[in-house]
Amino acid sequence: MRIPCPHCGTRESQEFVYRGDAAPVRPADDGAMFDYVYLRDNVAGVMREHWYHAQGCRQWIVVTRDTRSHAIDHAEFAR
Amino acid sequence: MADLVQMIERAGLSLATVMARKGADYGAIIAALGDGELHATGPGTWLAVSDASLDELPDRLRGQASVSDQSGGYIVYRFAGPGARRLLQRGAFIDLDPEAFGPGAVAVTAIAHMGVILWQVDAAPTYDVAIFRSHAESFRHWVEGMIPALAPISA
Repeated sequence: MRIPCPHCGTRESQEFVYRGDAAPVRPADDGAMFDYVYLRDNVAGVMREHWYHAQGCRQWIVVTRDTRSHAIDHAEFAR
Repeated sequence: MADLVQMIERAGLSLATVMARKGADYGAIIAALGDGELHATGPGTWLAVSDASLDELPDRLRGQASVSDQSGGYIVYRFAGPGARRLLQRGAFIDLDPEAFGPGAVAVTAIAHMGVILWQVDAAPTYDVAIFRSHAESFRHWVEGMIPALAPISA
C-alpha cells in the first residue's frame, strides 16, 4: 500500500506508523476517559485515520481510507 | 566494482538540523545559511551541510529557528559512477528515475530499511546519502554486498 504524504509525495506504507482512528478527542472529564482510550469502532468503509511518517518528514497526517478496499481518497497534515 | 560506483565519505563536514519557529520567515532562514547546502527534510525543517563551521548559525537564526549540531550524528556518503542510481534504487522505495528525482531533489526515506536523507547533487548522476553514524557500518555492508550484484547486467 502506498500513502500520499502531503509533504513527501507518494510513499511506501512501510515508512509510516499506523495510529488508528482520527476521530476520538481527549475528553475533559475523567469519566469519558475509558471510552477515549480503549473503545474503537471497527469501521467497514471510509474512515479518517492517523499515520505518522516516521521514516520521512516526521509529521502526523490524517489519511482518508476505505478499509474494505484500501483505496485512499486523500491525506492531509493532522495540524 | 570501482568502475560502476564510487563511494566516498564527505569527511570534515559541519551538519546541523534547522527547525523553523512558528511564524518564521523561511526565506530569511534560507538566506542566513550563506554558502552552505540546505536540504529540506520536512515542513519548516532542513539539514544544513557545510564545509565551513556552522557554529555561528544559531546566533544568526536566533528567534527564527532552532539549530541542533549533527556533525557527529550523521555520516554523508557521496555516490558517483554509472551504477550509482541503480545501486541506490535497489534499496530505496522511492523512484530515482530522472523524471521523478533529479538534481536538487531531496528525500527523507529508507535505503535497505535504514533511515537516510538522500539528495541528488548533479545529473551525472551524483548522489549524497546522510545516514546516522551508528547505521553507517551496516549501510557500508549493504553497499559492498550490492555492488557485485550490479555487475552482470551492466557489462
